[in-house]
Amino acid sequence: MHRLAFSKTETARYISHLDLMRTFQRAFQRAGLRIKHTEGFHPHPFVSIPLPLPVGFSSTCEVLEFALLGDCNMADVPARMNAALPAGIKVTACYDAERPVKQISYVNYIVTLEYNSGSPFGIVGQIESFFQRESVVVQKRSKKAKSGFTEVDVIPLIERATVEERRDTIVLDLMLHAQNPGLNPQLVVGAIRAELPAAVAPDYVCYHRRALFDGQMELWR
Amino acid sequence: MNRTLERILPRVQKPARYTGGEYNAVVKEREQVDVRYALCFPDTYEIGMSNLGVRILYGVMNEMDGVWCERVFAPWSDMEEEMRREGLPLYGLESGDAIADFDLIGFSIGYEMAYTNLLNMLDLAELPLRSSERCGLSPIVVAGGTCVYNPEPLAPFVDIFSLGEGEEVCTELIALYRTARDEDWSRADFLAAAAQVPGLYVPSLYDITYHEDGTIAAIAPRDGAPAQVVKRIVQDFEHAYFPVKTIVPSTEIIHDRVMLEVFRGCMRGCRFCQAGYAYRPVRARSPERLIADGIAACTQSGYQEMTLSSLSTSDYRQLEALCDGLLDWCEGSGVALSLPSLRADNFSMGLMQRLQSMRKSGLTFAPEAGTQRLRDVINKNVTEEDLLQSCRTAFSGGWNAVKLYFMLGLPTETDADVLGIADLAEKVYRVWREAAPDKRRGVRITVSTSCFVPKPHTAFQWEGQVSMEEYKRRVQLLRDHMKGRSISYSWHDPETSYLEAVLARGDRRLADVLESVWRDGGRMDAWSEFFSFTRWQNAFAACGIDPDFYAARVRDTEEVLPWQTLSTGVTAAFFKRERARAYAVQVTPDCRTQCTACGANRLSVGGKCDA
Repeated sequence: MHRLAFSKTETARYISHLDLMRTFQRAFQRAGLRIKHTEGFHPHPFVSIPLPLPVGFSSTCEVLEFALLGDCNMADVPARMNAALPAGIKVTACYDAERPVKQISYVNYIVTLEYNSGSPFGIVGQIESFFQRESVVVQKRSKKAKSGFTEVDVIPLIERATVEERRDTIVLDLMLHAQNPGLNPQLVVGAIRAELPAAVAPDYVCYHRRALFDGQMELWR
Repeated sequence: MNRTLERILPRVQKPARYTGGEYNAVVKEREQVDVRYALCFPDTYEIGMSNLGVRILYGVMNEMDGVWCERVFAPWSDMEEEMRREGLPLYGLESGDAIADFDLIGFSIGYEMAYTNLLNMLDLAELPLRSSERCGLSPIVVAGGTCVYNPEPLAPFVDIFSLGEGEEVCTELIALYRTARDEDWSRADFLAAAAQVPGLYVPSLYDITYHEDGTIAAIAPRDGAPAQVVKRIVQDFEHAYFPVKTIVPSTEIIHDRVMLEVFRGCMRGCRFCQAGYAYRPVRARSPERLIADGIAACTQSGYQEMTLSSLSTSDYRQLEALCDGLLDWCEGSGVALSLPSLRADNFSMGLMQRLQSMRKSGLTFAPEAGTQRLRDVINKNVTEEDLLQSCRTAFSGGWNAVKLYFMLGLPTETDADVLGIADLAEKVYRVWREAAPDKRRGVRITVSTSCFVPKPHTAFQWEGQVSMEEYKRRVQLLRDHMKGRSISYSWHDPETSYLEAVLARGDRRLADVLESVWRDGGRMDAWSEFFSFTRWQNAFAACGIDPDFYAARVRDTEEVLPWQTLSTGVTAAFFKRERARAYAVQVTPDCRTQCTACGANRLSVGGKCDA
């Protein structure tokens, strides 16, 4: 098994998870790279993306798993793939998959809250105290629950959070649990919107996934 | 990316439709181009990107030096709402620039129910709807596609209609535009000059007068505009541009595969079919070129699926050679080849067995009418035995789903013809009982009917459409006689067919209705979730127009028709002959058996037709 490390920015941010897998399957074809196919009645090129990125997020730490066939120099793969990929997707490395995906423990997100008329006075302190709370339970969409929603406490899933003010924006640097269960930073922002006064609600929020870490806070790849 | 767009996108469904940036999308430097062209498709991205014509024109224009052609699609309702609220005008996907500042805006219109979208897109671009209200040389609004063989309801909104195949005339139009701009021509001078280019129809240069009874008295050209505009064809189809290197959307579209255009035109002559007449003469590509293009298109796009696309693909003379050549490559490359548009009379066993090793989806046949008499009236030269034989072949090959398409309301149709549909479905079921090697999984026979829409430039262009009540009565009659668990019946609602009949043969007095429907919120009328028949009825009433005048009225063959100035190359005399033969229940042989002197071959140099 092999892995590609890639970034997903600009227009490519809006490609959904399923469409992204299709995009990679075709890009491998275009690049002339033979990869392993699934078995079964309708074989198709096997690709897997461990932690699906929500539509609209940018990322510099995406990973795609696949299996290269034939003797192909892994060092050539990024350049060949980049020539075959749409704008905004850039492969930075190709390597053997060594560490299991389940070792991904934390994901670092940079969340930018934008305010049209300047960030509200005292907001940094308000958000900081939000992160200090013992527990903040929010509703989360769920396919399993009958009501379509389940409750989740976001606070235990936030490993670390810092808040910084920059001109018209507030930047949150979040270290969130990655899986079992993981936390989507949109839920954090949703909780901030719900818990803090309406005047503090941002006009636009920009999400960026920056890095993946293992349980020892070492970079995972 | 535009900041406003960036803020809107998280709030809309399927945002990848609005960003551009796909593989092979053409991005040029603004400073390096002097002509900006907005190629607009008045429906969603998923539908527009599936259109081969759009891809061809995009490729042809972007190959021109100094020309940057960008794509524009109709935004879905959520996106439209956001764009209007945030004041984001309609933009080209490649640059994000507002199309109001472009030089030319070209629409591809293939469907009457997209007319309101054309109006809506002009408005989203922040342009005046009517040609007469737009001043200055640019932007010039052009429209092409099958609907423009009678574009009259759109006449006041569009500056120039381009008839027929666009790949040559679009370059001529751009050249003329450059001259006009360099020499500082007025808009009126440019339009008058454009009217001299073969295939271009400038509707504002024609004055129309009406009789007391509402029919047209005369269509009078002005300022040297030609009395008749004849559609364009590509003279050398074998060597004409085909988009081997084409955009691969990053989100799923309707026809998400390589489309190989095998030939243009159709040799069949079904009397109801506008496409069958309008794309004549028949011109085919060699299997050598098609195989090379097909392989290159798959390799360059990464698509794992390819389909042959033509009006009646199984009529291609070298179909076996083509499929063999493609399959030799496909099988080794894991690419699936599919063949749409199979005719029930020449469905080949050998070919099917070869395709069978690939995916096995359902088969679709379009007998169109339930009895031989009516099939002879419409010149659908398919016999019951042909159809049953094809079904037998399919069932014995393991297929267990067949779809059968019919029209109700065809000229001369009686209840016996309607019931013939139920009979035919029953016979297909019996064939399955005899032929299927394994009956455990059962069979699905799906019958569907739609209401016949008489179209301009066909043998039935003078006919009246049956009323919606009568269509519903015939549907009910058929429902009552459709028996058997394996046979299911579905029918299209007649409301859209009725409006199609009004618009397809409408004149420019309908423009007010279109504008009224649009002002009342009408758009995306091809989508049932947005379509409102009441809205159209209100607009007809408000404009004092009786839609039955257009849909239901039988025209006299001597009447001046709104599309009389426009020619597909097929003569009115031929259509009259075909109409007489229809009423005499006489079939006309296909063009390969015998040339029917339709007139379209005169469009080719040397009068050539490959039928």
